[in-house]
Amino acid sequence: MSSPATIKELMAVVLSRELEDGDHLQVGVALPVPEVAVRLAHIMHGPNMQLIFLGARMNVHHLESIPLPTFGWDSRSVRWAESYSDRGHRFDQVKAWHKRVFFVGGLQVDKFGNINLIGIGDDPKKLKFRGPASVGTPTLTTHVGRYYIVLNNHTSRVLVSECDYVSAVGWHEGGTDARKKLGIPGGGPKLCVTPLCVMDFTEIEKRMRLVSLHPGVTLDEVKANTGFELVIPDIVPTTLVPTEDELTILRSRVDLSGILRSR
Amino acid sequence: MLNQVRKSALLPEEKAGQWVKSGMTIAIGEPAPMGLLRWIIRNKITDLTVIGSGMALDYLIAGGCVRKVVTYYAGSPDTAVMPAFRSEAENGSLEVWECEEGILTSGLEAAGKGLPFMPWRGGVGTSLPDINADLKVIRDPIGGEVLIAVPAIDIDITLLHASISDSYGNVQHCRGTGWLDMFLYRAADRVIVQVEKIVSNEEIRSKPWETTISNADAIVLSPYGAHPFYSRGYYVQDQEYIQAYLEAIKAAYSKGSRDDKDDYFETHCNRFQSHAEYLDAIGMGHLISLSEY
Repeated sequence: MSSPATIKELMAVVLSRELEDGDHLQVGVALPVPEVAVRLAHIMHGPNMQLIFLGARMNVHHLESIPLPTFGWDSRSVRWAESYSDRGHRFDQVKAWHKRVFFVGGLQVDKFGNINLIGIGDDPKKLKFRGPASVGTPTLTTHVGRYYIVLNNHTSRVLVSECDYVSAVGWHEGGTDARKKLGIPGGGPKLCVTPLCVMDFTEIEKRMRLVSLHPGVTLDEVKANTGFELVIPDIVPTTLVPTEDELTILRSRVDLSGILRSR
Repeated sequence: MLNQVRKSALLPEEKAGQWVKSGMTIAIGEPAPMGLLRWIIRNKITDLTVIGSGMALDYLIAGGCVRKVVTYYAGSPDTAVMPAFRSEAENGSLEVWECEEGILTSGLEAAGKGLPFMPWRGGVGTSLPDINADLKVIRDPIGGEVLIAVPAIDIDITLLHASISDSYGNVQHCRGTGWLDMFLYRAADRVIVQVEKIVSNEEIRSKPWETTISNADAIVLSPYGAHPFYSRGYYVQDQEYIQAYLEAIKAAYSKGSRDDKDDYFETHCNRFQSHAEYLDAIGMGHLISLSEY
C-alpha cells in the first residue's frame, strides 16, 4: 500500500478524472497540480488527448512515464512534442479552442469565478500587492471550451466577495447568459478546486457551489475560509480519494521527483 | 564611388550596444540576449521602456535601466512575482503597461503591419481597459461586437538571442524561435541578434527555409550569451544562478538596500569589461556542465 495521498495529489486526481479523451489540455507555468493531472489522465484514460505546454503540442500516450520537467523553462521539455508553435502563432487558431481545456490560478477569485492576477489595492499605479500580471489568461478563458480554477490556498483573502481587479472573466455578474451578454464565447469555468474542497457553479445563477469536501475538512472550515456566501447543497459528500491505481501511476510514472508530495 | 562589397552585419557587442540610448523603447526576446542586457546595465542606460517578461525583465529593472514595462507576465516557475518588478511597481517608481499575451501580440502585429491598432477579444469584460487607458473598448463596425482596440506597439530596437547567423544577418534559430521573437522583430525599427555561432553564407543557403530573420541590422557573436537562460540545442538554464539572483534581489529590496543591489550587479555584471570576461568568471567547467543533451 502507498502512503495516503497528499492534498495536492488529491487535487490532481480530482482534475484528472474530469478530463475526457480527445481534450486538448493546455497548462501554463507554475501550476504543478494541473501539470500532474493532465499527464495522469493521458496515461489512464486519454490516448487521444493532446497536451499543450508553452506552445508545444504532444501526444505521449505511448510512453511508459510522462515525468514533470525538473524545472520550468527546460528547453528539453518540448522534445516529445509533435509540433511547436514557435512563430508566435499561438493565438491563430482560436476557432478550434472549443476543444481546449485550460487551468488557471488567481490572487483573488469571486463567487462568479472572476479571477484577479493583476494585484491588490485601490490604486493600480501603486498596488499594495503587485501580482505577476495576466499572462495569457484573459484570452484563453475567453475562448476555451471549459477551464478549471485551481488554488493553492483556500482562505477568505483569496476567495473574496469582489476582486480588486478582474483579469479573467468567469460568470461576470452571474447568470447563464452573463458571458454571452459581454460577447465572450467560451464555456467558462467549470470547477474550482482548492486544498479544502471542490466547487462548481449553479445552473441558473452561476454562483459558486460546494460539490465535495476533502477528507477531514468540515463544512464550517470551508465557510469560515470563504469570503462570500457559498451555495451549500443538502448533501455534501467527501471527495473521492485516489485509488491505489491512480496514486501508484501518479507517483511512479508522472511525479517522479515528488513535487506534489513535498509542497 | 559605389562600394561593391556586400556589407557585413557583424558588430562587436559594444558597438551594437551603443545603439541603445536612454529613453528608448526596446524589446527582449526569448531566451533573453543576456550579453546585451549586461552591456546595457554596465553602461548605465536608463529610462527605457521595455517589452519583456520574467527574470530578464526583472534583471534590467533591478539594474536601474527601466522606467516603464510592457509585460504580460512578471513571474516564473521559480517565483510568483519577480522581486524588482514587484517592489518598484508597488512603490510607484515603475510604470506598468498592463496587458496580456493576446493583447500584446495584437499591438505588435499592428506595428509590424503598419496599422494604428488591431482588434482583440481577450480582455473584454476585464479590468485591463480600465487600468490601461491606451486600450480602447470599441464596437466592431461590421458585426457590432464589443472588442478591444490595441494600439500599435512600436519598438526602437529589438534584442534577440538565436543559434546561428551568417555575417549578413541571415539568422536561423535552432528548434524554433522564442514565442514572441518574430512579433518583436517585425514591430521594431532595428533588430540586434546575438548568436551562439557565426556560420558561412553557404551554410545558410543550404537550408534557406530555416532562416527566421533575413535582414538583422546587427549580429553580435555571443557564445553562451543567454546565460543564465537556455539556448536551444546548446545549453540548459542555470537554475542555481537564477535562484541566487532571486534570493539576492529579493533580500536587497526587502531591506531597502541599494548597496546590496549594487553589490550584486558589481559582482555579476559591472566589473566585466566584456562578455568574454563574464564567461571567464562563470568558468568553462560550469558552462560545460550546462550542456543540453
